[in-house]
Amino acid sequence: MNKTRKQFFLTTVGLALVMALFPMWLGEFYLHVVTIGLFYVILAISWNLLAGYAGQLSLAHHAFAAVGGYASALLFLYGSEALGTPLPLWTTIIFGTIFAGLVGYGLGSVCLNMRRIYLAITTWAFAESFRLWVMSEYEITRGDLGLSTELLFDTSDPTPFFYVFLGATALCLWIVFEIIRSPAGFYLRALRDDEEAAQAMGVDTVRWKRFAFTASSAMAGFAGTLQAHYIGMLTPTPIKFNEMAIILVMVIAGGLRSFWGPAIGAMFIQVLAEALRDYAEYRMVLFAVMVLAIMRFYREGIFGMMRDGVAKLRSQPIRGST
Amino acid sequence: MSILQVNNLAKHFGGLVAVKDLTLSIKPGEIRGLIGPNGCGKTTTMNMLAGLYKPTRGDVRYHGKSIVKLPPHIRTAQGIMRTFQIPKLFSEMTVEENMMVPALATSTEKTPEFIEALENKATEKLTFCKLDHVSHLLAKQLSGGQRMLLQIARGLMVEGLELFLMDEPFAGINQVIKETIMDAIMEMNDNQGITFLIVSHEMSSVRRLCQTVCVMHEGSLIAEGSMTEVANDPLVIEAYLGGQNAASDS
Repeated sequence: MNKTRKQFFLTTVGLALVMALFPMWLGEFYLHVVTIGLFYVILAISWNLLAGYAGQLSLAHHAFAAVGGYASALLFLYGSEALGTPLPLWTTIIFGTIFAGLVGYGLGSVCLNMRRIYLAITTWAFAESFRLWVMSEYEITRGDLGLSTELLFDTSDPTPFFYVFLGATALCLWIVFEIIRSPAGFYLRALRDDEEAAQAMGVDTVRWKRFAFTASSAMAGFAGTLQAHYIGMLTPTPIKFNEMAIILVMVIAGGLRSFWGPAIGAMFIQVLAEALRDYAEYRMVLFAVMVLAIMRFYREGIFGMMRDGVAKLRSQPIRGST
Repeated sequence: MSILQVNNLAKHFGGLVAVKDLTLSIKPGEIRGLIGPNGCGKTTTMNMLAGLYKPTRGDVRYHGKSIVKLPPHIRTAQGIMRTFQIPKLFSEMTVEENMMVPALATSTEKTPEFIEALENKATEKLTFCKLDHVSHLLAKQLSGGQRMLLQIARGLMVEGLELFLMDEPFAGINQVIKETIMDAIMEMNDNQGITFLIVSHEMSSVRRLCQTVCVMHEGSLIAEGSMTEVANDPLVIEAYLGGQNAASDS
């Protein structure tokens, strides 16, 4: 096992072990906040894979979480009805994940020749179209009334859900780590830096763009399925652009293009958003100012600040030593 | 047999004819120059040979087989590499990582041992191109000349490189780096048998490197031969100096 992989596993296992003790320290409400935070961690790291590493500025990531959630919930609802027996939830979760990945593959294929603002607008249009579809096809999705979903565990205690999200987050972190450490990581970054040069260097840019869309959408879909079977209700509200803006803020605050940054940013913003709940929509103004400040003064985000801070401390001589 | 045969190649951008009926043939192991006044279609030709532009008509044959429908990455995998006039590097990646991209993309093996061997090869090629001391820097931190050198060094990482297309490799760089690039080209040509097609405005460098030179003007090939031959060709003189100047000179 090389040094970087060893560091990753030690950090992930260490964090997971500490977080595994959270149910002993936190009350139900705060455990719920952290569980939702883990949902956003998966969305943030998977969007960072697509936008940060592969340079594909998609604004449909929140919609892929909803695609996964609705796919899983609808399969459970109609599949169980057709079979006359409840489908195991793990099958619908796998289906929702694969379905979101396939939709991501399709959207990636449509957007192959689009870059920057054109890609952003097209993906945003996809997300809005999906939201409108969910709202208008209320006979299938129940629209704004909301679709009740089967819960993963028959309890109102968030503890078992928290452990599921913790495991899912560790799994997604590991997947992203393996992708970016493999040759695929080189191709995605080359694609981001200069698509034409990447082609000329032998990189099949069509294939790797599709891969980035598929992998990130599948992970978002996976998070969406778990969220659907945790909250017990799906509505079109989280498919609004606000949700995408939150993911963006989390990734930029944490550190776009860094491995740990988006995960740190997601948890930080989630906790901060809960702490500022009384200020309602003013929170978004604060987040916008924060993003502006980070983009202006410290583009590497919270993770960059932490890394540079540690490096600075290490480089300072210990007092008293010669 | 020619390593590269171009037959009646043409490229139109709407009403603009950038290249018209270009035919040329390059033998294996040759260093061929491609010169011509600004806007004559040299870079468009390079882009068609590398697969970045789809020709309006005509054919490109590599080792006798048509490659005109192949995408750029397949052409690279078959041993055709190119550099760009304005260096196109992966700016947020280190010099060493830039070297690894073509190496990984053009090889089928991906075992840790093989990747380690590629890393060693990258170090060796960076030393060859005198870039070993900057291997840890981000590509965006390099000077203009170092960027051009990195483009060349990166090309050497392609598995089975046979044909190197270079677009203005000597533009805007100092004499020391220019010499390094020329030495690298001659070394690759002599020791590895790599064929070169070099687009350049630097006549002294072209004269030193290329046995045969092709001259383009307004999208067409107007002369072909040694540098001395083409330099005395009336059509070439007219293309470079204009009809009136050519007439007054003569």
